[in-house]
Amino acid sequence: MSVAEVIDNARSQGRTLLTEVESKQVLHEAGIPVALSVLARDAKEAAEAAEKTGFPVVLKVVSPDIAHKSDVGGVRLGLESKEDVEEAFDEIVDAVKAAQPDARIEGVAVQNMAPAGTEVIVGMSKDPQFGPVMMFGLGGILVEVLKDVAFRIVPLEPKDAREMVREIKGFPVLEGVRGQPPADVAALENLILKLSDFIGDHPEIEELDLNPVFAYPEGALAVDARIVIGDGQGSAQTNDATSRSS
Amino acid sequence: MTQLSEAAPDLQQRLDRAFNPRTVAVVGDKRAMGYLWLNCMKSFDGKVYSVQVDPNEIPGIEAMGVPNYASLLDIADEIDYVVCAVPRPVAARIIAGCIEKKVGSVMLFTSGFAETETEDGIAAQEQITQMARESALLLIGPNCMGIYNRRLGVRHSTDQPAGDAGNVGFISQSGTHAINFSLVGAVRGVKCSKTVSFGNAVVLDSPDYIEYLANDPETEVIAMYIEGVNDGRRFFRTVKEAAKRKPVVVWKGGMTSAGSRAVYSHTASLATAPAIWEAAMRQAGVAQTESLDETIDAVNALTYCKPTMGKRMGLIAMTGGQSVVITDAFEREGLEVPLLTPASYEKLAEFFNIIGGSYRNPLDAGGTIGMGFVPGNLQKLFDILEEDENVDAVAMEVGASFIARRLRENPAMLDQMVATLAAHKERSAKPFLAITHPGHVEDVMADIRSRLIERGIATFGSFQAAAKALRRTIDYWQTRADLN
Repeated sequence: MSVAEVIDNARSQGRTLLTEVESKQVLHEAGIPVALSVLARDAKEAAEAAEKTGFPVVLKVVSPDIAHKSDVGGVRLGLESKEDVEEAFDEIVDAVKAAQPDARIEGVAVQNMAPAGTEVIVGMSKDPQFGPVMMFGLGGILVEVLKDVAFRIVPLEPKDAREMVREIKGFPVLEGVRGQPPADVAALENLILKLSDFIGDHPEIEELDLNPVFAYPEGALAVDARIVIGDGQGSAQTNDATSRSS
Repeated sequence: MTQLSEAAPDLQQRLDRAFNPRTVAVVGDKRAMGYLWLNCMKSFDGKVYSVQVDPNEIPGIEAMGVPNYASLLDIADEIDYVVCAVPRPVAARIIAGCIEKKVGSVMLFTSGFAETETEDGIAAQEQITQMARESALLLIGPNCMGIYNRRLGVRHSTDQPAGDAGNVGFISQSGTHAINFSLVGAVRGVKCSKTVSFGNAVVLDSPDYIEYLANDPETEVIAMYIEGVNDGRRFFRTVKEAAKRKPVVVWKGGMTSAGSRAVYSHTASLATAPAIWEAAMRQAGVAQTESLDETIDAVNALTYCKPTMGKRMGLIAMTGGQSVVITDAFEREGLEVPLLTPASYEKLAEFFNIIGGSYRNPLDAGGTIGMGFVPGNLQKLFDILEEDENVDAVAMEVGASFIARRLRENPAMLDQMVATLAAHKERSAKPFLAITHPGHVEDVMADIRSRLIERGIATFGSFQAAAKALRRTIDYWQTRADLN
C-alpha cells in the first residue's frame, strides 16, 4: 500500500494513529531504514513471518485500543524458533484479553530483533508558528530528564542535519566513549534528511516519532515508529514541540 | 497575513515609495504632544502638509509654516506617506480618506487596538484591517512610530540624525526600541539607512519589511527587534534568504514566560517556545541578541570588522589584571588565545618591557606602550600581531580607565594614539576591536570612545561585549559560508 492508501485506510476506520506496522511500511517505502514489522493474524502466520524476517524475532500485539503494549503482556522478545513464536502468539492474545477484555486485537506484529545500538530518537511535531519541527536527541533518560534535544524547521538542508546531531550535549556518546566504537553519524544525518523530505511531502502527518533509532558503527535503524495523521477535516493542532522544550 | 503581498506583486515598489517619500501629510498633530510629528519632519527633504480640523490647534501648526488642510482630499499634491496621529475613534475615517486620496502609504501612530485585549480594541483593529485590505492600502502599524529615513530626514524622533546616508536597516515591533536603536546606535557608530516601527502588523508584517531591506542597496546590515510573528514559516524563509545576502541580527523580546505575556499586551502577537525560536534562527543563519546593547555591538562588529571566520585572538591589555580578564572573556565565548609564533616572540623580546608586563598572549603591554601613549611601540605590537600567522583577529583595551584624568591633560597624545589605531585598522587585514571601559572619569572614556567610532573602529564598552559581538560575527560568516 502507498502512503496515501495507508492514510485513507486509517481515516476510513476513524483512526488518526497509524499502527506500528503501517507506520513502518510507509517509512520503509520512503527509503528510511526501519526494522519492518509483519502483521500476523494467527499463530501460523506469525511463525511463517518469523521465518521470513529471520530469528530471533519480537512479537508485539497490534490493537488500536492499546497504547502501552508491554503493560498488558503484549510484547515478547528474543524468540528463536517457529514453535516459540506460535506459543508466544497465543500467550500474547490470552494475556491481552485478560488484561483488557474489550480491546480489539488485529493480530501480532512480527519483527526481526535488531541488535542493540546506541539509542537515539528522531521526531517531528507541529509548532503553531513554524509548522513541522524536527527533534533529535539521545534516547532514554537523556531526552526525558535533561531535555538534551535539538530542533530544526522542516525542510532541513544537509548542514542543518549535520549541526543538529552535533548540537546536543550528549554528542560525544555518538563519537564513542569508554571504548565503544563511534556511531555512524553520517547514517543518522541521512535518516534525518530523508525524514525531512518525507514530512515535507506529506503535510497530512501531524506527529512522528522514531523511538528508538539504533545507531550502529555502520548504519542506523528505526526500531519503533509512530505516526499521527490529521483527521482530514483540518489539521489536528498539537503543541508537542513547544511543551517538550518548555 | 500575507494577503497584501500575494495580491500586490508591486508591494516592494510601493514600500520603496513609503520609505523614500517626496510628500508627507501629518494628520492630527497637536500642541499637547509638542507638535511632535511636524517637528520630526522639519528635517524632511520634501513637502510637508498638515491635516487638522481643531481650531485650537491650527494656529500653532500654521505658525510652524506648515500648510494645513481640513482633509487629505483637499491637498492638491499626491501624498506618498501619511502620519496618522488621531485618536482611535477617528482612525477609520482617516483610513477612508487615505483610500479615497490613493495615498502611497499610511502609518498609524494611533493605538488602543488589539493590544488592549478589549472587545472594542479588537473590533476597531478588524475594521481598519478590513478597509486597508479591501483597497490594498499600504498600512503600517497600528500602534507604531512608522518610518525613519536618515538621508531624507523622515523621522519619528526629533533627536534622530538626518541629512546623511546610513547603512544599517532596523525593523521593530516596538516604537521605543526603534527610536533607541537609532539614537543610542548613532552615538555608538551605527548609522541607520532606514528603520521602521511597525506595531501590530495587521496588513504589512515583518517579512515584508525584511524583504525590502534585503533588496535595499543602501542597507548593508539588517537588525530587528521582534516580539512575535504572524506567519512563522514566512518569517523563517525571509530572514534566511536575507541572511544569505547581508548580515542579519535578530533581537527577540518575550523569551521568558512572563515576558511572553507582556508581549501579548504590547503588540498582541503570540510567542513561540524559546528553544524552537532559537533553533529556527540558528538554522536561518542570523545572529541572535538579547538586548539593545548586544544588538548595537553585534551590528558594529558586523559593520566595522572585516568578515572573519578565524577564532584565534591576539589580545592587548594595559595591566596584568586586565590581561587575565580579557582572556577569560574571549575564551568563554569559544574564541581561542593561542601562543604566538617563535618569530613573534623573538621580535617582542627585543623591546617588550617585562617588568610589570608579559607577552605570551595576552600581551600585558601597558608599560611597553605607555598605556597607549608610546605610539612607536604600539605600532610594533600591531605589526607583529599582523604578521603572526597564529592570530586571526586583534582586540585591545584602549587606555586604562584609572588614568583617564591624565589622558584629559594630554590631548595631543590622545590624538596620536587615536591616529595610530585608525591607521592600523585601515591597513590591517584582520578584524580589530577596541575596548574602552567606562570608569570614574566617564567623560574622558566617552570622548575616547566617540573618537574611535568616528574613525570607523569597532568599539565596545567591555571585554565581554566585544567577545560576544565578535563571536556572533564569526558565526554569521561561518554559517553563510556553509550555506553557499
